[in-house]
Amino acid sequence: MKPWRLSPHILLLLPAVLVLLAVVILPLILSFWSSLTPFRLTRPDSIYDFVGLRNYARLMGDGQFWSAFGRTVLLLTVALNLEMLLGLGLALLIERASRGQRILRTLLMFPMMFSPVLVGFQFKFMFNDNVGLVNNALQSLGLTNSAIPWLIDQHLAFFSIVVAEIWSSTSVFAIFILAGLMAMPRDPLEAARVDGCTPWQTFRFVTWPFLMPFAFIAMTIRSLDVARAYDIIKIMTDGGPARRTEVLWTLIARTGYADSKMGMANAMAYVAILLSILFTVIFFRKLAQSREQIAAEW
Amino acid sequence: MKLLTTTALVLVGATGVMAQDLPGKFDGVTVQAKLIGGQQYEALYARIAEWEAATGAKVDVISKKNHFELDREIKSDIATGQLGWCVGSNHSSFAPQYPGIYADLRALLPAEALADFVPATLDAATLEDKLVMLPRAQFDVSAVYYQKSLYEDEANKIAFKEKLGYDLAPPYTWDQLADQAKFFANPPDFYGTQYAGKEEAIAGRFYEMLLSNGGEFLDAEGKPAFNSEAGAATLQWFVDLYKAGAVPSGVPNYLWDDLGQGFASGTVAIDHDWPGWMGFFNDPASSKIAGNVGVAPPPKGSSGARSGWSGFHGFSVTEDCATPEAAASLVWFLTNEDSQKLESGAGPLPTRNAVWDHIIAEAASDPYRAEALAAFQVAAQGAYPVPRTPSWIEITNVVYPELQAAILGDKSVEDALNAAAEEATQVLEDAGEL
Repeated sequence: MKPWRLSPHILLLLPAVLVLLAVVILPLILSFWSSLTPFRLTRPDSIYDFVGLRNYARLMGDGQFWSAFGRTVLLLTVALNLEMLLGLGLALLIERASRGQRILRTLLMFPMMFSPVLVGFQFKFMFNDNVGLVNNALQSLGLTNSAIPWLIDQHLAFFSIVVAEIWSSTSVFAIFILAGLMAMPRDPLEAARVDGCTPWQTFRFVTWPFLMPFAFIAMTIRSLDVARAYDIIKIMTDGGPARRTEVLWTLIARTGYADSKMGMANAMAYVAILLSILFTVIFFRKLAQSREQIAAEW
Repeated sequence: MKLLTTTALVLVGATGVMAQDLPGKFDGVTVQAKLIGGQQYEALYARIAEWEAATGAKVDVISKKNHFELDREIKSDIATGQLGWCVGSNHSSFAPQYPGIYADLRALLPAEALADFVPATLDAATLEDKLVMLPRAQFDVSAVYYQKSLYEDEANKIAFKEKLGYDLAPPYTWDQLADQAKFFANPPDFYGTQYAGKEEAIAGRFYEMLLSNGGEFLDAEGKPAFNSEAGAATLQWFVDLYKAGAVPSGVPNYLWDDLGQGFASGTVAIDHDWPGWMGFFNDPASSKIAGNVGVAPPPKGSSGARSGWSGFHGFSVTEDCATPEAAASLVWFLTNEDSQKLESGAGPLPTRNAVWDHIIAEAASDPYRAEALAAFQVAAQGAYPVPRTPSWIEITNVVYPELQAAILGDKSVEDALNAAAEEATQVLEDAGEL
């Protein structure tokens, strides 16, 4: 009788499968299980108390959670759209530069090199109501004589966070779109010019459709980033004051670590992941549509 | 005789390290430690090398963070069962959350090593009949720092008397502090006072003022009771100052460092703050108001009692530590008389009687320090810790956003307190405490 052996292809795949199991599947199973328990960090035994969907049921009626959810969607929508517009503008300007394009491209990537925590501290200081750069500049220029509460007022705090997010990540869009611009064949542009298209028409009907797949890839990456927004907001406002800037991950981190309620925090995290999945699906669909359009037109 | 000797040896063995000579010899032992980090604590940590030289052991500092971050890390360690490190910084506000993980230091140290500590502080460090930490010279209770020149100014005195009807003097009550803060405020260039407006910082201030106004935070049965008349009056105090522009508009985002830096910048008249700032405020290198700082005891509330929320830092030894004798020796060393003299030399208050005597004698030639120590001594006499519930930090996390909501005008004082009490009740119910 022949000894039983694993076939070579399974044997070769086994290390990858084991690594995936260890670093992805097991933590996922464990965190999902804990979301079905009242697990508290300070009471490790509570991870064995199965409570079914109780955490999820509580979340459904939790106004604070849904406010944070809505705020995260709003932040995602505003930040992504503004970053795309600004990134597109920057990419078009850099592509036009006939000299020093390499230096400009390097400069463009500078904000991405800063740790989000550092960006948070930087903007927290700039927007400080008492000693911050922004208020001091506005007061010195005579534009205001009051201390504008940038990080306190509901709308201004949101605006300040959006500014920090945009400053740190617009270059993601600019670089993707610039890559698209550099890869773009010149013939259709020249054809459009010969046909008498205005610069706007050339951009709208020739350049933009070609750039759309690049923009959607950047959108997908950044939507995942912003849906997980934490570091910058944690430093600038920590979700406050009075929960005015609370987003999903500041709430989840506080619930999990400060309040020790890791079971509930994991339930929140699983609902939050739905948001990321939703935006990823939307952008991938858009990406597929735009690629089909290019294939049909070009 | 032989029997007696054997019995004595057995007794010594049974009590283990109780009779150890401190600091002891621990050649080849490495003690892993998680310590609170920050410039003000480094002077003490420089003494660790002395302990290493005396005992032959090594200290491996595996984590150095502020207490909020350390708290999260320790909770993760509890969840994952990784409590093999030996010495951890602890704090009276955090300690009730995890009494089970720390060893009873009374069983690890001789009684005479504990004899000199202020008894009330050792009591506050005792949870479930275990002495879970030895207090270091970081005893915190607040007093009122103020800019002296404002109170000495004749024009101010006259204007204040005309406006408020009583003489201008450092505040004796919370109402006087509010009157004076509003009187001195000239935003955005100058503010009357300030308060830390988030996390445990505002919840703690609210707690101590509530008590001084005759209210209760938790009632005798442990239920939240701060949504009372006294609670409303207390929260209204914060709201009124904010509405009047007597505090910087950013206070809901302020924590302790913001307060210290703000007062030292000379743009704030009165600062109810911790003793750790004593040296900083009067040092020309760090403060624009050096030489112009007065210190008064904490104000009284409507009940006639002073506020007195206090806390202290300490060091604990984990139950899972493989070398508890060495760890306890290190904890003793970092809190002994010499260590406390070193730490309290920079301003923080000691927790040993002998060191109190020492700093008071030393301050005799320094009127500012003598005045400040006198004020903090009064404060220490009426000091009390946070409610002894493991859920204290979690309660503060649900209470402070509601206090902020009232301060910012999002909710009425009553609505905010009722919502906070409801959430705090849920926290206590979930924790099985109600």
